[in-house]
Amino acid sequence: MIGIENITNHNGWAMAAVGATIVFSGLVVLSFVISQIHKLLKLWEDREKLIERFKKKAPAAVAEKVDAPAYSERHLPSVDELIGAYEPLADQLEESFNLSQLFEIAIKNDMPHPHLSIQRLQEADILVAQGDGTFTWNKQKESKA
Amino acid sequence: MFDLFFQFLTNTGYYLADYRHYIMIVVGSTFLYLGTAKKYEPLLLVPIGFGILVGNIPFFKGFGIGIYEANSVLHYLYFGVTTGVYPSIVFLGLGAMTDFSSLLAQPKLMLLGAAAQMGIYFTLLGAMFFGFAPREAASIAIIGGADGPTSIFLTAKLAPHLIGPIAIAAYSYMALIPVIQPPIMRLLTTRKERLIKMPPARNISKKELLIFPVAGVLLCCFLAPTALPLLGMLFLGNFLKECGVVNRLANTAQSAIVDTATIFLGFTVGCSTQADVFLTSKSLGIFFLGAVAFSIATASGLIFAKIMNLFLKDKINPLLGAAGVSAVPGSAREVHLMGLKEDPTNFLLMHGMACNSSGVIGSAICAGILWSFFV
Repeated sequence: MIGIENITNHNGWAMAAVGATIVFSGLVVLSFVISQIHKLLKLWEDREKLIERFKKKAPAAVAEKVDAPAYSERHLPSVDELIGAYEPLADQLEESFNLSQLFEIAIKNDMPHPHLSIQRLQEADILVAQGDGTFTWNKQKESKA
Repeated sequence: MFDLFFQFLTNTGYYLADYRHYIMIVVGSTFLYLGTAKKYEPLLLVPIGFGILVGNIPFFKGFGIGIYEANSVLHYLYFGVTTGVYPSIVFLGLGAMTDFSSLLAQPKLMLLGAAAQMGIYFTLLGAMFFGFAPREAASIAIIGGADGPTSIFLTAKLAPHLIGPIAIAAYSYMALIPVIQPPIMRLLTTRKERLIKMPPARNISKKELLIFPVAGVLLCCFLAPTALPLLGMLFLGNFLKECGVVNRLANTAQSAIVDTATIFLGFTVGCSTQADVFLTSKSLGIFFLGAVAFSIATASGLIFAKIMNLFLKDKINPLLGAAGVSAVPGSAREVHLMGLKEDPTNFLLMHGMACNSSGVIGSAICAGILWSFFV
């Protein structure tokens, strides 16, 4: 038997179609899998960072909302104590100075929470803005405080 | 005394030979010439060519000499072919020699290896059209994969009487890649397409190279368990190479073991081409269909690459489709050379190797699928 009849009688069309489909889909799946290997490996290698990020994110959100004011109240010294600590530093600077200068000198002297402290001094009008980006130390307010 | 002398003379090859033996001796000598002088796949053509010479020395049947005679030495050596042992061992060595990093860097090129397997299925239909039995047709069709060991493996399982012509056809066309593929590549691509440059491949980590053989063996062998003797060994060899803790085994697999298997495989396949078994009209049909299979496989890869370019933002050089057949590294080299001819700065070798590697996997899966159709 030859010709189309031979192909049809021996199920040749189905064998060719099914075989071609299987090999093609098999290699497509394999190519997809190998294209993902490096991505999965990167995820696996960064797993600690991911876990840390996940862990940090959750409590940080709560802390910001609930604990942030309490933190500053609880851990920062009072305004008087801050004046006592920061006045000698301000004296080292010129009459009007940039806050960054005060910040730098506070860092050099290992002052705790320099940002919050300077902010608090500002809020208490101990540090008075001159309108040109510089600040002066308010001696009068200091005596009242 | 004269009787004894004449009796001896009648047992010599000179007396027993007929024209068919001389034809095969010419074929064997041509293989040796192509392998040694032209350096066409010498590792295969030299043992096969010498095997053809040895297999076609006429002898008195019944001495237990010939490869088809039970208990002969050659018959025992041939056992590795008929059982599929040698092809599996060759695949072990092939895996230990293959660097899959170019394939891992560009997984989309694996599709070209899949497309090139279409030649197998077209030839399956073609062989059945010309009257071959389904098992014979499947064995002939696998020549389109351009993978000698795979062709021998499948033929040993489905049509062992055709091992000789199919193996010779498969290896001949592998050796003739520089003759067969370039005209098809030129015919099916434009100069503009041949000039397309491929982007440099990304760096592949050691872990990716380690995971690939494990993922590969699981995915491919779950899909086509009958491909296990080939793909299992291929990926084992590759894992030995990549894991880095068994370098002795990897080195042995890629040198002594694969070389030993190649010698016995080539030699016994050559011996199996005894003139009375080999020179038949079927063999001529097999050679014709093998050429068709190989050409369709090349064309399928090229055309599929062009189709992919219709959808891809970063175009691929369609020449790479021709490397989808699993003739490693012959077809990748041919693609590279053609790319260089058009533009001396266009290097396609590593991209071609990616397609070649996927072709090896694809043709082994095809062999498994075809075998499973007849289990």
